[in-house]
Amino acid sequence: MRSLFEWVDALPSSIALRESLNAYPTMLTIHVVSMCLFAGLIAYWDMRLVGLTLRKVPVSNIPTRLFPWALTGYGINLITGGLLLYSQPMRYYGNFYFWAKMALMLIAGINMFWFHYATYKSVQAWDQGREIPMNARLAGVVSLVLWAAVVVTGRMMAYSGLMPQWWNNLNIGA
Amino acid sequence: MLQSFFQWMQGLPFSAWMLEETWASPIIQCAHLVALVAFAGAVLVVDMRLLGRGLIKTPLNQLAREMDRWMIWSFVALFVTGAPQVLSTALKQYYSPFFWWKMQIVIIGLLFNFTIRRRVAFAEEGSLGHWPKVVGFLSIGMWTGVSVYARLIGLLS
Ligand code: HEM
Ligand code: HEM
Repeated sequence: MRSLFEWVDALPSSIALRESLNAYPTMLTIHVVSMCLFAGLIAYWDMRLVGLTLRKVPVSNIPTRLFPWALTGYGINLITGGLLLYSQPMRYYGNFYFWAKMALMLIAGINMFWFHYATYKSVQAWDQGREIPMNARLAGVVSLVLWAAVVVTGRMMAYSGLMPQWWNNLNIGA
Repeated sequence: MLQSFFQWMQGLPFSAWMLEETWASPIIQCAHLVALVAFAGAVLVVDMRLLGRGLIKTPLNQLAREMDRWMIWSFVALFVTGAPQVLSTALKQYYSPFFWWKMQIVIIGLLFNFTIRRRVAFAEEGSLGHWPKVVGFLSIGMWTGVSVYARLIGLLS
């Protein structure tokens, strides 16, 4: 893994992005705005599953009507996040919050697929009614917590001085 | 006048505490972003509907009424997590043009919401021609502008 990061770090295109004055602010700003589109819509979908809001909207309406937009946001988020990483791989390699964020995104993705291919199959039975199955509520809560944690770890990446002591002891960045 | 007000904010014991306490600023900033996500979703669900996208099978005024609460309370959360940062970095904010642009658009955005946007969203659907689209477009534009300027305070000031 380390050699991959070092290899990217030495690529001319990575260096060019890193040395550009405008690239970082532009990418980070687009990253935050696209996050709003993605995470903002997903949050209300999750809260619908939990039963906190939009109770009169049929559950199955949201994936068909809102997911294309949420996924567009996610796509832009991935591209700008990927570019930020590409431009300074060695800055993030030793960063606890970077790896935590990637792990949290992975778990959030697994939760999403699990829900979609298992629990969601029976949506016809609870589409309109008020009784949302426990599994679906649980998936909603887990998703809310995980995406909030992705946002938090995303912001914390800037605080390289505030990483846990045990992580610093591993000396990964050095 | 304004400058001495910002100097006064910067000099408050609370501001000194925020700057001294290692975790205070990062926690507040993270909370500001989580509140932003809640705010963005509440705004977008209605604005997309105004634009004729998104949850078109649900009556617009029903959607708007439901999202109204979420929008207001997440804005309150944005204010509560934004104000301490203004206090602790008052002079930096005072000298940042982006801060002033952000605050101007925030005020315009709030006025726009409570005068025009809400009225259009609560109105009888189909009675206003293309106006809902214009309103949805402006609303998305304003809050995006607020976010962009906000992020640029930290990056460029
Ligand atoms: C593969 C996907 C992603 C990658 C590689 C990535 C990478 C990054 C990088 C490199 C930064 C800059 C950190 C810094 O220099 O301070 C960042 C910031 C951030 N990311 Fe991501 N990101 C990804 C997806 C996401 C997602 C899905 C979310 C939210 C749901 C998210 C939320 C954030 C937030 C909130 C920040 C802080 C923005 C700020 O400082 O205002 N990211 N990300
Ligand atoms: C009256 C309410 C608000 C106040 C007092 C406030 C104040 C602040 C302050 C002082 C910062 C830190 C800027 C810096 O020095 O880096 C900030 C960051 C930010 N604000 Fe607000 N804000 C408010 C509402 C909003 C709203 C309504 C939005 C969006 C619609 C927003 C979006 C942001 C964003 C995206 C950031 C950058 C986050 C980061 O990565 O740190 N804020 N805000």
